[in-house]
Amino acid sequence: MSCENPIDAAVLADYWLTALAGSEEEAVELHLFDCDQCGARLREVIALAEGVRKIAREGSLRMVVSDSFLKRLAEEGLRIREYAPPAGGGVQCTVTAEDDFLIARLAANLTGAKRVDLCLCDERGVEQGRMPDIPVPSGASNVVYQESISWAKAMPTSKMIVRLVTFDEAGSERLLGEYTFNHTRSMPGPGTLPPVI
Amino acid sequence: MDIELNDAELVLQIGSGNARDAEAELFRRMAPRVRLYGLRHLRDEQAAQDLAQQVLITTLEALRAGRLREPGKLASFVLGTCRMTVLDLRRNAQRKERLLEQFGADLPAPVQWSLPHLDHEQLTRCVQSLKERERSVVVMSFYDEQTSADVARLLGVSDANVRVIRHRAIHQLRECMGVAA
Repeated sequence: MSCENPIDAAVLADYWLTALAGSEEEAVELHLFDCDQCGARLREVIALAEGVRKIAREGSLRMVVSDSFLKRLAEEGLRIREYAPPAGGGVQCTVTAEDDFLIARLAANLTGAKRVDLCLCDERGVEQGRMPDIPVPSGASNVVYQESISWAKAMPTSKMIVRLVTFDEAGSERLLGEYTFNHTRSMPGPGTLPPVI
Repeated sequence: MDIELNDAELVLQIGSGNARDAEAELFRRMAPRVRLYGLRHLRDEQAAQDLAQQVLITTLEALRAGRLREPGKLASFVLGTCRMTVLDLRRNAQRKERLLEQFGADLPAPVQWSLPHLDHEQLTRCVQSLKERERSVVVMSFYDEQTSADVARLLGVSDANVRVIRHRAIHQLRECMGVAA
């Protein structure tokens, strides 16, 4: 039987996340007890949620994360390698087979920055990839960037430069901080650099 | 059962007695719904399966005894039983064992719980292709199960904005995975 008022997948995701108001949740539940089509959609949403959760635990995503995210990973027993170079500075770094996550804590004065981009550059400083408009908490003094651990494990000994930039009212780019990662390979593998993005 | 009965007809057949086909149909129809409810509220597949057994036992008891006064409201009755049973489960875990001992043998074999299979590599590409804020919101919501307010504070956006970002991201992920939005 076809559902006349199907519940949107995003609303079902809210239901799964316990993010609906009480009356809305009651209405969704009553509908689900009368509609297998929406039940099937909820199962798809749950599969998506579980898939994302699994991917997040693999450390292979490039993304900006939060301290609470790192805390949760640590509570699960996952091993986090973290570097915190100062703005304008560099750090010697590596990853080992035992590492599950690779984090760079990028200190910067983010006050008033409405949009912040994170740029990934090669050793000459030439931009190879950009993460536009990254999420930055209000009042934050650093950006917590997760590098793909699978990419880092495949990376030969090399230098990588990360930049945080913002934009003034005229749209001109302004450097917030530049961070140099002098990576020493500690795992066997090919000697070529994998593509950044 | 050759002809699909509606809920009210199912209730009336079970209430009339000697209706094993109708009882099996009730189980087939309602068990997946109760398990979904259980998964959402108990966050555990085995607990959801146990809940389905208990709720269906309680429902069968009520229907056999003709205690459901409005047969058309079977879904509401089962949902209400789910709510009461989850509350009860949290209060008294022992009742589960007693009910299962008493009635468990009457129940059909449980249907294997399964979620749709997703291509892991494809989903990884889809998540990575989201915009930065969308990716952060989706991962923090699903991995960390943080509230919209928590995610909003961490990302420097409003609660309402988190919900909008999450909705957009879910639609994009489903589209990227080839599922109708």
